[in-house]
Amino acid sequence: MLEHHFLFRSFIGYEAQRKRMLKSAPAGPLRTFLSQPFPALDTPFEDIEILAVDFETTGLDAVKDKLLSVGCVDVTQQQIKLASSYHAIIHTQGSLQADNVTIHQITDDQKDQGQPLADVIAQLLERLAGKVMLVHFARIERQFLRQACLELYGMAPPLPIIDTLVVAKKMLDKSAVAYDPSQLRLAALRAKYHLPDHYAHNALNDAIATAELLLAINAERQQALSLQQLIL
Amino acid sequence: MDSALTEISDFIHALPAMELLPSQIIEQVVKEISICYVRRGQVLPPRGVSEHNLYILRKGALSYASENDELLAKYGEGDICTVFCHEPQDNIKVCAEEDTLLYSIHYPTFHKIVKHYPDVLAFFQHTAEQRLSKKMLQVNEDAIVNSSLLNSTVEKFYHSPVVSVSSSTSIKQAAILMTEENFSCLVIVDQGQPLGIVTDKDIRRRCVAQGLATEQPVSAIMTDNMTTIDIKSTAYDALLIMTQQHIHHLPVMQNTKLVGMVTVTDLMNNEGQNAVNITSVIHKAKTVAELSEISHMIPKLQIRMAKLGTTADHVGKSISAITMAFTIRLIEMAEKLLGPAPVPFAWLAAGSQARQEQFVHSDQDNALIISNDLKPEHEYWFKDLATFVCDGLAACGFVYCPGNVMATNPKWCQTQAKWHQYFTQWIHNPEPKALMHCSIFFDLSTVYGDSHLLEQVREKMLKATQLSTLFIAHLTKNALNLRPPLGFFRDFVLIQDGENKATLDIKHNGIAPIVDLARIYALSEGIACVNTIERLKLAAGTPSLTRASAANLIAAYEFLSMLRMTHQANKLQQGQQPNNYLSPKELSKLEREHLKDAFKVIKTLQDSRQSTF
Repeated sequence: MLEHHFLFRSFIGYEAQRKRMLKSAPAGPLRTFLSQPFPALDTPFEDIEILAVDFETTGLDAVKDKLLSVGCVDVTQQQIKLASSYHAIIHTQGSLQADNVTIHQITDDQKDQGQPLADVIAQLLERLAGKVMLVHFARIERQFLRQACLELYGMAPPLPIIDTLVVAKKMLDKSAVAYDPSQLRLAALRAKYHLPDHYAHNALNDAIATAELLLAINAERQQALSLQQLIL
Repeated sequence: MDSALTEISDFIHALPAMELLPSQIIEQVVKEISICYVRRGQVLPPRGVSEHNLYILRKGALSYASENDELLAKYGEGDICTVFCHEPQDNIKVCAEEDTLLYSIHYPTFHKIVKHYPDVLAFFQHTAEQRLSKKMLQVNEDAIVNSSLLNSTVEKFYHSPVVSVSSSTSIKQAAILMTEENFSCLVIVDQGQPLGIVTDKDIRRRCVAQGLATEQPVSAIMTDNMTTIDIKSTAYDALLIMTQQHIHHLPVMQNTKLVGMVTVTDLMNNEGQNAVNITSVIHKAKTVAELSEISHMIPKLQIRMAKLGTTADHVGKSISAITMAFTIRLIEMAEKLLGPAPVPFAWLAAGSQARQEQFVHSDQDNALIISNDLKPEHEYWFKDLATFVCDGLAACGFVYCPGNVMATNPKWCQTQAKWHQYFTQWIHNPEPKALMHCSIFFDLSTVYGDSHLLEQVREKMLKATQLSTLFIAHLTKNALNLRPPLGFFRDFVLIQDGENKATLDIKHNGIAPIVDLARIYALSEGIACVNTIERLKLAAGTPSLTRASAANLIAAYEFLSMLRMTHQANKLQQGQQPNNYLSPKELSKLEREHLKDAFKVIKTLQDSRQSTF
């Protein structure tokens, strides 16, 4: 019950923060985002409006490193709707480091043809309004989105998040068997749930891959999960 | 589209049929995908999904099971599930065998996207058919076999006006009216409202047999609470009511008004339409494979006709007409393939098909008669024709003739001159082997081509047989080898060994002797017909056969054929190969008596033939 209280309080925190911030937010994408209430905590899984999101970045430090691309897709009624899929490459200053390019495969040429950060973040916030953000390993997306908002709007919004890594970790922690942290990687978890190999390190592909993993995890449960059991 | 979806696009593009689509169409298709995950053991469609969706298996496995949980098929990665594309036509249960990742696409939307690619659409319809083939084939067959009953309303074939009388009319007046109008039933009406019905049977059972005075009002013997049928009902409904209630007449109502009457005979006549339906389907078939599929309908038709009480004569004619349609269609296909015939010819049916007494699963007996202009270089054309048609008939369930009486046999693929020669030889030198051929080749009819070729041969042949008493004597002697079971006065003589132990061969011991007798009468009297009943009717009153004997033989023949047909319909319905071996257990006491009577008639006439020579 303590856990229940803690989560409930933390969620009250999101809604309270949202309402408070709405009063001071500048007109524009952030204000529109904040004007939509988040889903209630007791929402059953099938009714949670989810946006699966993935970022590709030049590194792990949200302040020093740059956001390269954003991919996202809606998960509605336990279905991943490809019609809603969104993928954008961001035009950033400076050239890319060669070893990084091999991971995310976004070349300088592609990057130079990309869109301004402001446009992409505006698109993302519009899609995210009123939804829960789904990511695998929340730190990157949370920090980079936060940083981008600070730069663009002078404030960072509250973000209710489902992190498949944390959901899977909680399940593994409950079992008595020791596990290797590498088992929590997206590809490893997908394999565990018999999901097909996917082409990683493309933001949209990873977003879809994460959404598929969440569907698989939920399907395995005897009882459907609710938002409060999933939320970070 | 976002290049990021290329992985999914590539997967879709590699699927069968989808490979025919250009990339931009694939992109549109991918946009319509919803990904869903189905846990092992869960049933499709996923909970909450009611739209008509196409499902593509991305990972995992699905199993299809019939209503009775019989496994129909299993599908895996890259397979497409079309079961839910349309309204469910079948009770196929689709279940995830493993945890399964599905790409679901709203089918009507998909249909719109690929509408300009008929090959792709055809593929999806085709796979649907394949998966449902077993069941659907049956549905289609039933649809055609039932079409005349299901598609026609009572409106189309009821009798009008119906003869009606008031309830105070005397039984005698009613009977007189029925006789005058030649109607087997009357409707009793008061102030326009039908009260009841009176049939021949009511007059017999409720009046005459009971000794009721014929001056009594007809209402005393009528059946009240009568069942009626609405004019807009289907013929099939009418049949159901009649079968369920064991009645033969149904007054037809329009709103509350009596407008006519429909009888079981009307339905039977209508049923004959089915043969016509099937024939028209045959005519439209483009390949032998299509014909072969259509041929599955024939046993069903025979069963239905038998169950409806259609006479064996009518069934035989219907089945023969259908066989003829198959043969004609095959010849047309062959001509398309081989080019036009080099010289005039005719395709001949022999034996039961020629006599129009064919039932399902009979052997094919056929021959070719060719104009005397035939040149040696033409022979290949006819050889190819014969092979194509005989193989085609075999594909349609008409087994090759065990005695090789087929157009593929060079002996029976001959010029008119040669056929003249054959008949002359058979008539003048009636050796045992020649006589064996007689039962087949003296019953010939033209199926296709120039009918004059056969008519000229027959004309000459009949002249010869009428004059050749020696030939007729030999033919009679040969025919008398087939005798109805001796000792049938006590009990039947049954086949004593083998698979058909303790059965009666109704064809060889009952029907064939009558067919043989009819042929002998026809050949001695120069009658050109080949159908047994027609031969007997035409021979009636000639020196060969008295009218009374002809009537007896026809009755015996119809009764035996009816027994055989019912027996075969039961076999067919049980999914067995129809045969001619009747077990006495199948017969009621009355039928046994009738059977003895039939045999007595045959024996009497066989004996009289014997004494003639």
